[in-house]
Amino acid sequence: MRGGKSRDAPPQYMGLAHVRIIDVRKTYKTRRASIDAISSVTMQVARGEFVSILGPSGCGKSTLLMAVAGLLPVTEGRVEIDGEVVTGPRRDTGVVFQSPVLMPWRSIFKNVMFPIEALGLPVREYEARAYELLKLTGLDRFHDNYPTELSGGMQQRVSICRALIHNPSLLLMDEPFSALDALTRETMNQELLRIWEEFQKTVLFVTHSIREAVFLSDRVFVMSRRPAVISKVVDVTLPRPRALEIDETPEFNAYVSDLRRAIEG
Amino acid sequence: MDEDHDYQRSVVGRLIAQARSLTMPVILTIALLVVWEAAVAVLDVSVVTLPPPTTVAAAIFEHRDLLMQHSVPTTVEGLMGFGLAVVVGMGLGILLALSKFFRVAIYPLIVAFQVVPKVALAPLFIVWFGLGMTSRVLLAFVIAFFPMVVNTFAGIQGTDPMMLRMARSFSATRWTVFRKIEFPNALPYIFSGLKIGVTFAIIGIIVAEFVTAQRGLGYLIVFAEGNIDTPLLMAALVVLSVIGLLLYGAIVVLEKVIIRWDVGQKL
Repeated sequence: MRGGKSRDAPPQYMGLAHVRIIDVRKTYKTRRASIDAISSVTMQVARGEFVSILGPSGCGKSTLLMAVAGLLPVTEGRVEIDGEVVTGPRRDTGVVFQSPVLMPWRSIFKNVMFPIEALGLPVREYEARAYELLKLTGLDRFHDNYPTELSGGMQQRVSICRALIHNPSLLLMDEPFSALDALTRETMNQELLRIWEEFQKTVLFVTHSIREAVFLSDRVFVMSRRPAVISKVVDVTLPRPRALEIDETPEFNAYVSDLRRAIEG
Repeated sequence: MDEDHDYQRSVVGRLIAQARSLTMPVILTIALLVVWEAAVAVLDVSVVTLPPPTTVAAAIFEHRDLLMQHSVPTTVEGLMGFGLAVVVGMGLGILLALSKFFRVAIYPLIVAFQVVPKVALAPLFIVWFGLGMTSRVLLAFVIAFFPMVVNTFAGIQGTDPMMLRMARSFSATRWTVFRKIEFPNALPYIFSGLKIGVTFAIIGIIVAEFVTAQRGLGYLIVFAEGNIDTPLLMAALVVLSVIGLLLYGAIVVLEKVIIRWDVGQKL
């Protein structure tokens, strides 16, 4: 049902990308020289699409994501969301970072509610949604616990709930599962797809795991080593909903080898 | 398992655990008192040099009204100096953390001032403010002030940059970041500042009472020494220690009530 979703998007979105990254270049100045982190990247993400940016460690993919989040200014070019140039953090974006960055002094529930307070939204009206999100991620028994009482995977689930609480249309995820063990990571991938199918968000997902990118995405953008450019774009047309066993199919593994060659190439 | 967990987490539970950890020190103290009592008797030490614990206890009982009368100003003035240090110290610590101007212009001065032995200021305070309460409270304040500034400052500065980035991603204002992230992050540091500060404030008051010689336990100690009344001197010391312990204990209780999360590193 969700297969080829980007293609049967409502007509008013035809041609209007949700996220547009146009000729983005990012240069870091050090004392000795200026280093190109991203040399020139152009890409588009359609509404409701799940897109991964895949690349080796330190290739600038996180930098690109932070630019989309409005947390880092770009040196040249621009990022547009819904046709508006990104100049700073936006209310319709939710970010999941590499580490959960939960506040140890707040309960799980209060951590999830933080964006509501920060954005000045009516706290009362979002409490039910917080409970619903925690329930969806299997954390409803833990809302009064403190973050340190939860495992790494559970903490990252909380941070996903937090990124979704204000009902953003765009979810930005910066290698959110890279610190987790392989088994937990697979579970989290599956859960993320379930959440995505439930909420219909646009997801921009940064990862250095090829299998993770194939399993999750509608499209995978491969980023080259620094200075980064997009070296390949792969449409993943595996059927949805996807179960973990899909990674044993020849189609899945064909995508994996294709992408591996693109990265090494 | 769950019940055990809740017990660990509840404030009362943690206070009981804290109290239990005092068992061994209390036993050791009693043992030392027994040895002291016995040694003084066996070695026939004069009461002027070292009165045995029983004599000190008798002195506390005998002079209870006098001790109480002098405890009140010491405690009240100590708390006034401490309170002033908390308000001014925390305020300045926050300003230092939030304003680069303050950090560049004022922080070096504060550090330089810290090098001055503050007790040496007591005579100057007497010249400026006379022999009254003002001089004593101010001396307590200048001594207790520094740990408050430094700990507040360090606690705010020590906020995880990722946490700040996270808050920014949700469009948090500067005020929200301070109130909901930096200040709670600084609380464990602030409490360790409070624990040092309250002890320092009492030191300040006692020294000031030595010098101004009007009232308070510090004055009583000097008075007893002048009269070669060592049991009274030690009785005043015991009362002083008890006051110090109670104030420190009050802050520990407050800390357990407020900081219920796992702070991670031991401060």
